[in-house]
Amino acid sequence: MKRYLTVATIALMLLPIGLRPGLAAGGVPSDQIRATVDKALVVLRDPKLKPAAKTKERRDQLRQILFARFDFGEMARRALGANWRRRTPQEQEEFVRLFTELLEHAYTDTIESYTDEKIVYVGERLDGNYAEVKSKILTSKGQEFSIDYKTQVAAGEWKVYDVVVENISMVNNFRSQFNRVINNASYEELVRRLKEKQAEFTSPKK
Amino acid sequence: MLAGIICLGYLAIRLGKLELFGNGGYVVYADFASVAGLKLGDPAEIAGVKVGKVESLSLAGDRARIAIRLEPQVVLQDDVIASVRARGLIGDKFILITPGASDKTIAPGGKIRETESPPDITDLIGKVVGGDLTSKTDKTEKKSE
Repeated sequence: MKRYLTVATIALMLLPIGLRPGLAAGGVPSDQIRATVDKALVVLRDPKLKPAAKTKERRDQLRQILFARFDFGEMARRALGANWRRRTPQEQEEFVRLFTELLEHAYTDTIESYTDEKIVYVGERLDGNYAEVKSKILTSKGQEFSIDYKTQVAAGEWKVYDVVVENISMVNNFRSQFNRVINNASYEELVRRLKEKQAEFTSPKK
Repeated sequence: MLAGIICLGYLAIRLGKLELFGNGGYVVYADFASVAGLKLGDPAEIAGVKVGKVESLSLAGDRARIAIRLEPQVVLQDDVIASVRARGLIGDKFILITPGASDKTIAPGGKIRETESPPDITDLIGKVVGGDLTSKTDKTEKKSE
């Protein structure tokens, strides 16, 4: 990773300023992402929402903040990939719901564990109606993770359709998992497993 | 003897033509943060089937830009994802293209927007950050209190 960065830095230095690629320090997409992340952090750090009794309230607030910025329908569509077009509108609707719930359950813990980490925005790459916002998380232990948000314009707002953590695209990760299940079994099996996963999440602790 | 030479010449031309045929199809571009280890001529595959090859590698700003020559019958949706993958741990690199859901397609000369650079510790991190559907997660059971 460091090596790539060094290469990238050297490459940047060699380029005349006018020819530098569209990696700006911040623009509208970055501002919108930053606003959403900041809002989420306020909720996460709010001592009033910390007690276990407030969990539901805290999660409701987080959900509201994130749903405004993340386009889960688009994520689900992309995650299903080529199989999306083979499904009926009803199936697609059901899939979006299952996928969103899966994400919500799978990431709530991770998101809630981030409270004292420092987030820096390292740049953005603008390409017409698409933009990639690059950020880094610095943990209190000194570890560094890159998190890039892939966004596109939808109804005048920049909406996130993929999150790339340490060069691994979440959509692609799900796309290959879903494809594997569909190819080895069937779409129905995938839906069954998603529902099973959901039941696993919502069932009370044994 | 003469017939032999003619045959050889014919063969050479045929082979040459075949090579020329290989230059049919169309080119799309893709930018990667890194394509470490990828070489000219490495295959591009969809579902394990070769559909094209790497035609050029260059630097575009701070990123690597590759041109992929695709066979003419191949259609790419505009949300396909191109990743640089290796066969096995130290195997040859190739470009894996996973088909997308979009109704729009990438025109000749167009760009694959979604790309993934070679993973360093993909599987590990993939499971940590991406969630693994295929195995039970004990971590998640704790939280539904």
